[in-house]
Amino acid sequence: MKKHSNYRVDIIPGIVIALFAVAYLALVPSIQSFTGMGSTPLTNHFVPYLWGGALLVLGLYVAVRGFRKRAAFIKAGGKIEKFDLKAAVNEKLEVIASFVALTIYVALMNVVGFVPMTIIYLVAQILILTPKHDWKKTYVPALIVAVVCSVLFYYIFRYHLNVLLPQGILSAFGF
Amino acid sequence: MILEGIQAVLQPMTILLIAIGTAVGIIFGSIPGLTATMAIVMFLPVTYSMAASQGISMLVALYIGGISGGLISAILLNIPGTPSSVATCFDGKPMADKGQAGKALGTGVVFSFFGTIIGIAILVVLTPVLCDFALKFQAYEYCALAIFSLSMVIALTGHDMPKGLISAVIGALLATVGLAPIDSKPRFTFGMFQLNNGFALLVLLIGLFAISEVMKYAEDVRKEIKYTVNEDAKIKGAGFSLKEGIAQIPNGIVSALIGVAIGILPGIGGGVSCMISYTVSKNTSKHPELYGTGIMDGVVASEAANNGTIGGAMIPLLALGIPGDAVTAMLLGGLQVHNVAPGPLIYVKNGAVVYAIFCAMVVSAIFMMIFMLLGMRAFVSVLKVPKNYLLPVVIVLCGIGAIGNANMVFDTYCMVAFGLMSYLLIKSKVPTVPMILGFILGPTFEENLRRVSQLASSDKFFNHPIFMVLIAATVLVVIFSVRSNMKEAKKLELAAEDAEKSV
Repeated sequence: MKKHSNYRVDIIPGIVIALFAVAYLALVPSIQSFTGMGSTPLTNHFVPYLWGGALLVLGLYVAVRGFRKRAAFIKAGGKIEKFDLKAAVNEKLEVIASFVALTIYVALMNVVGFVPMTIIYLVAQILILTPKHDWKKTYVPALIVAVVCSVLFYYIFRYHLNVLLPQGILSAFGF
Repeated sequence: MILEGIQAVLQPMTILLIAIGTAVGIIFGSIPGLTATMAIVMFLPVTYSMAASQGISMLVALYIGGISGGLISAILLNIPGTPSSVATCFDGKPMADKGQAGKALGTGVVFSFFGTIIGIAILVVLTPVLCDFALKFQAYEYCALAIFSLSMVIALTGHDMPKGLISAVIGALLATVGLAPIDSKPRFTFGMFQLNNGFALLVLLIGLFAISEVMKYAEDVRKEIKYTVNEDAKIKGAGFSLKEGIAQIPNGIVSALIGVAIGILPGIGGGVSCMISYTVSKNTSKHPELYGTGIMDGVVASEAANNGTIGGAMIPLLALGIPGDAVTAMLLGGLQVHNVAPGPLIYVKNGAVVYAIFCAMVVSAIFMMIFMLLGMRAFVSVLKVPKNYLLPVVIVLCGIGAIGNANMVFDTYCMVAFGLMSYLLIKSKVPTVPMILGFILGPTFEENLRRVSQLASSDKFFNHPIFMVLIAATVLVVIFSVRSNMKEAKKLELAAEDAEKSV
């Protein structure tokens, strides 16, 4: 017997999407609308209400569909297992670590600067994407790739392609 | 204008950029997990400071190389390098197993070129016709066109229509951030000036397609998937005899035309075109039983179709500003970066750039054939580049692309947020392609709907036959797709019930 039917990919996303739609719809009245000369009969509230309403209906539909699937699954003798958060986190550890690394990278880039943050991020991300038993032989090549790429990209894009990459602490050294 | 466009491409620097773009595109296409979309994302910041014709020529070359390169891994690894080469595996791999890898690769390369050229020919002929036709479009017609395009996307992306709709609506909803059309009042900006212009299409695309790809790879780190590369990649001449090549021409033409037709429809792309043309080729063949055992016909059908899709997808992109798939959406972002506004007036405003694009596509197709026939061994060796090193570098380049779009680090925050959203949606089985179309078509729909609301009292809708035809077509598409969706959902439900009973 399968642990669970495919109801979970309906219930949770359906509820989250419906809640998001409610929050979005709640913000619509705060939009300033223009009512002067040349204004259109449909204000700038109409389409946000339309999309927000559509998303709410669709989210609820998918969630209800998921609950119906769940009920049918139980009726057919399926056994509902408790959601194990610890196991789920462990299963997606590399994905979570990648998102954390990426978030820290972009969050600190402006303050610390492109080059140092890119070196740290590249080393971290390369290690995250490498199986643990290969880490020892990965440290040095990862560091070389990180340093070469970050310096090269900074030099090419900032000085030749006019992309204003953040200098951060490098500005203190006149780079 | 024609000469100006051709001249712009035939500059040594532009030719070099096209050659580099094609080669990099082939590399990205050949490595499973890297796509033409990612290649364009990576190289967009490089093109920021180039002239429009140079920059766009390079992006187009990346597109052609990216779609064509997929056949290498499809034949040698049995893993399609891009979704466009799925059907190439069916006969390409068995041919390689029979010791005919060179023949399979040669067939794929030559008929990829063949399909690209047919696609370009149709693109050159149809784009001005569609532009002329679209000049008649006013608010009513644009409004209906946006609705029709959205309905097509929803109908053709996956069997789960509600989730396709959710994706399209989220895209349209994201597009409401920023200054509202017509009255320019800020919406959902939360006082942040960076959001006044709304989210950039490029930033959304990077998040949706590049970040999520890295996360998918991260999921499999512990599985340590190892590929076995068939090293027998030497191609003698074209890999097949002249007689064999001539015999495949009708199959190639039909497949390329299928590719072009599917490319024109929004939201589908090469992945579907190669499957459909493979099926059509098999069903119309005198020896359908041989398909899948390793015959040229299967490789020709798949490769001519997916490359034909390139020309097809460019038609609505240039003439209407509506991209056919993710790669063309990325190209739309590239055109916007270079201040080229696709639409019915593109020939008037940027005629030279349009002809430069056509010319660059032909040059790139030629480079693609030469590079792949003569340098196959080099491309095969690239398949061994470890992705744990490559993907983080791609992400850094994506970040540079996001920053360079408006020289704002803020866009990298949006990039990560969209990446997370995309990953969660993929895990929830929500397709992400409709979101791009929703994002692009949402503002068109809103602006024209509001104009229509203004005009409705003086200009009735029955004075607009194109509007009525498009609305009727939308109704038909919706009815048809709801019916087929319900049928498929029932079939899937029954199959699931049977499977559960049998356990």
